[in-house]
Amino acid sequence: MPSSASARQASNALIFLGPAIILLFALLVVPIVVDLVVAFTDMAQTVTIGEFTTRQFNKLVRPSDDAWFGFELRGSFYRALSLTAIYVFCTLTIFNITFGLILALTTTALSDRLGAFFRAVWLLPRMSPSVVYGLLWIWVVDPTERGLLNQVLINVFGLEPINMMLDHPMVLIVMANGFIGASIGMLILTSAIRSIPKHLFHAARADGAGPMAITWHIVLPALRWPLSYITVFQTLSLLVSFEYIFLIMGASRSTMTMAMLAYTKTLAPDIGSGQYAYGAAITLILIVIGMATAMFMWRMSNMKALLAKPKIEVQ
Amino acid sequence: MTAIDWNRLATRARRGRRVRSGLLLAFLTLVSLPVILPFFWVVVISVSARTGGVEAAVLWKACAVLVPCVLAYAGVHTFIASVRARIIAGLLLGGLCLIGLYVLIGADLHLNNYRFLVNPNLIEDIRGAATIGGQFPWVWEAFGNSLLVAITSMTLKVIVATLAGYYLSRFAFRGRSFFLQSLLLLEVFHPWMLTIPIFLVIFWVGLLNTLSGPILVLTVIDLPFYIFIMKGFFDAVPWDIEMSAMTDGATRRQAFRHVVLPQVRGGIIAISVLGFIKGWEEYVFVTALRTGNSYWVMSTYLYYVAEDVMGVDYGLVAAVSVFYMLPSLLLYLFLQKYLTQLTLGGVKG
Amino acid sequence: MARVDLQNVTKDWGTAVAVDDISLDLKDGEFVAVLGPSGCGKSTTLFMLAGIYAPSSGDIRFDGARVNDVEARDRNVGIVFQSYALYPNMTVLQNILFPLRFKKVPRTDAEREAREIARLVQIENLLDRRPGQLSGGQQQRVALARALVKKPNLLLLDEPLSNLDATLRLSMRAEIRRIQRELGVTTILVTHDQIEATTMADRIICMNAGRVEQIGTPTDLYRAPETTFVAAFIGSPPINLIDARLAGDTLEIGDKRLRATGAGADHGGPVKLGLRPEHIREAEAGSATAGLAATITASEPMGRETLYTADTPIGSLHFLEATSMPRLAPGAKLSLTFDGDDSLVFDAATTRLMHGVCAHV
Repeated sequence: MPSSASARQASNALIFLGPAIILLFALLVVPIVVDLVVAFTDMAQTVTIGEFTTRQFNKLVRPSDDAWFGFELRGSFYRALSLTAIYVFCTLTIFNITFGLILALTTTALSDRLGAFFRAVWLLPRMSPSVVYGLLWIWVVDPTERGLLNQVLINVFGLEPINMMLDHPMVLIVMANGFIGASIGMLILTSAIRSIPKHLFHAARADGAGPMAITWHIVLPALRWPLSYITVFQTLSLLVSFEYIFLIMGASRSTMTMAMLAYTKTLAPDIGSGQYAYGAAITLILIVIGMATAMFMWRMSNMKALLAKPKIEVQ
Repeated sequence: MTAIDWNRLATRARRGRRVRSGLLLAFLTLVSLPVILPFFWVVVISVSARTGGVEAAVLWKACAVLVPCVLAYAGVHTFIASVRARIIAGLLLGGLCLIGLYVLIGADLHLNNYRFLVNPNLIEDIRGAATIGGQFPWVWEAFGNSLLVAITSMTLKVIVATLAGYYLSRFAFRGRSFFLQSLLLLEVFHPWMLTIPIFLVIFWVGLLNTLSGPILVLTVIDLPFYIFIMKGFFDAVPWDIEMSAMTDGATRRQAFRHVVLPQVRGGIIAISVLGFIKGWEEYVFVTALRTGNSYWVMSTYLYYVAEDVMGVDYGLVAAVSVFYMLPSLLLYLFLQKYLTQLTLGGVKG
Repeated sequence: MARVDLQNVTKDWGTAVAVDDISLDLKDGEFVAVLGPSGCGKSTTLFMLAGIYAPSSGDIRFDGARVNDVEARDRNVGIVFQSYALYPNMTVLQNILFPLRFKKVPRTDAEREAREIARLVQIENLLDRRPGQLSGGQQQRVALARALVKKPNLLLLDEPLSNLDATLRLSMRAEIRRIQRELGVTTILVTHDQIEATTMADRIICMNAGRVEQIGTPTDLYRAPETTFVAAFIGSPPINLIDARLAGDTLEIGDKRLRATGAGADHGGPVKLGLRPEHIREAEAGSATAGLAATITASEPMGRETLYTADTPIGSLHFLEATSMPRLAPGAKLSLTFDGDDSLVFDAATTRLMHGVCAHV
């Protein structure tokens, strides 16, 4: 009975896949399209569209005969772009990758229980609510002698108190995001190290390799794929993240990355001014970067394994 | 062939092992201190600070007791192999630690900062009615709302991801590869990137200022990732048990419910924990999808308490923070073993 | 090359004891097989020798010196793993060169030695491939080359043939034996396959549940197994073990009585009688002693031989006959016998062989 079989197939698809499709479509696909449209309007606080215009992009770049591509970045956008680049690059390379790798290597070198303990410590920031985490940082770097950092600097090292928020804002947000980013790198790399066959380690030890040689010749080659995965996905997620920056630094100009710029100009509590079209224009740039990354991901990932055919044909 | 000096090699190896594990422990302890100390600090403040400011002495006194105890226990663990000796040493040091804490800081401890749990109008009592955040509710209202948001979004997410993960893992259908590729593409778009257009969509469908807004958005956050995780778990279930269930007369839906679903219990628990913690801590969308103070959740409650009474009553802010952290940390601690089963999910190459 | 001995070595994992108080010694250049079922602690023993696991108690000695604490990398031991454990990111040549890297052998010498060993195991045409592009047998040879290139004191083989198909296994058995003789390296082979052990090794160490059951030449283990476990493990098809009672010079099996020799008159108690299928045969017609009246219940052609199952007064017995076509059909009646010298009698309480005690039909 082909008709009943195809009816069952349709109802199966509806039941199993329907909810996911509806949610993803309504809250990811539709917003992308909405953003594409709104970026070219004058939508502001009233949330109405008066006219279609490229005015929002003119706030970011202005035509210039001298510059490459014939456009010149405006001051605030140039600043946001370079802050974003510094923030993403430093957090990613120092913490998410390097420190995540160091944590994964050192905790897997310890006994299982001890390693799990240190990993649990490093997951603490990630598992605690973002507002609490932001608050902790504000208290730690408090410029007075009350701040934990200054207490340590004064009492342990005998140094002068410092004001991180004022003098080293980028260091602060790189560290705050890095502590969380390092734990993600640590988790992914730990599970990758664990999945290296035990016999390879045994063979290398019997062949005369010490801990360093084992790390270099056995572990690192096996981490090539997870490391590129972390690089791509964490770059993207750092690019669009503003939660901790906002919670720690507020609308400070010194840490106004692109995502922060879009957020504070629109929806940030108490200070957001509802310039939706302007925010949408910045978002559009982020979307384009995301698309490019996704294309790169496709080339990288193992599509064949992902698309392996199911074995039961009956519906 | 020259004779090998085995004794020299053995001595060198023993020394090398000890030095290596000592260095590893010292390094990890050192880098972990900045992570754990602030958390410990906020707990200490919440049970010791009195109105007016933060007394740092209590923290350092507590550390003076705890650090030697922890180091001693680590030493016991490194050098003594017997399990029973370790347990006895642990109990002894624990007792010593408690006595030390009681003697040094016992007099400073109090629970007064946790009075917000029983006093509905505490913030107004401290600051007067007109505060930046407006009229504060009782903390339990925010707690209830947070619980509602976290549990509902978690449940939705788990159901949607499980159904889709199973279908993608086991069913052949036209457009399957297209769907999987789109999912991989969507994984790139974190809702944070789309905060503004999502706000507009929620506004247009009239869900602004209701809890449904954040719940729906939270369900979608990382949804492709969760679907891939569940697909990975279903992929690992042997085909044979499903085939034998079907030869025993079950339909595919029955086979799914009674045979396959119990096999992926670990995966469901893992994504439930992650989903709950995400919903519990959410800040960006609960603030972006409301205008004014139409609803309160724990994150906004803490945010405005900190904004309003910071500098006046650190103890209170610390106590609210600890109260807010507790559920997700407890959940994490008890269900941690399920989280370690997670790998990169279906996109592992 | 090295003399290796283990003294009262125990490995306790905390939850289970994998190796329980074993002692053995290996002569220089000897080929020894450690034989036992999976989970008997034979691989754990091997890894302790390699320095990958540390014994919980007892001593491991190389040439008389205690090496318990010596790192694996300093022991100069070559291992071939069951999974071969080739480094997937390196070519075959790089795999073979890997151990030499840490012995600070100059690059040109190292390459020459690697090519030499590659010729010995016949993989000189595969040196540029990666392990993923090799067949099981080829990977096995690479693993062997990697283990041998550093001229190890001791060569350890952990079930090296179990992932190969039957014909390849046969040729690799001879190959490994040839190479071992050529290099004269002390070698330990861990296996669960009795044929592998008996054909390759000078001596066999039979292990069960973490303990050594018997150490001896293949013939010793076959002719005079020290325990019922060894008797049952060595020999194919497996030995018939029959519950019996020894009383002076008679062996009581149910109602049937057999004559026993070699036991003192005062000896008595429950025993097990072991009869190998190949030692039981049909009694010749008109022979002096009456055989065991038997009825065939099943016959299995095994190629060159036929295995019969028969009901007898002393229980169900398996016996072999060197005919490729089954001669007897189920239901056929005949009389069975065996030589008293071939019979084995074990103490049922200790499971140990009672030397000199024989049963006669």
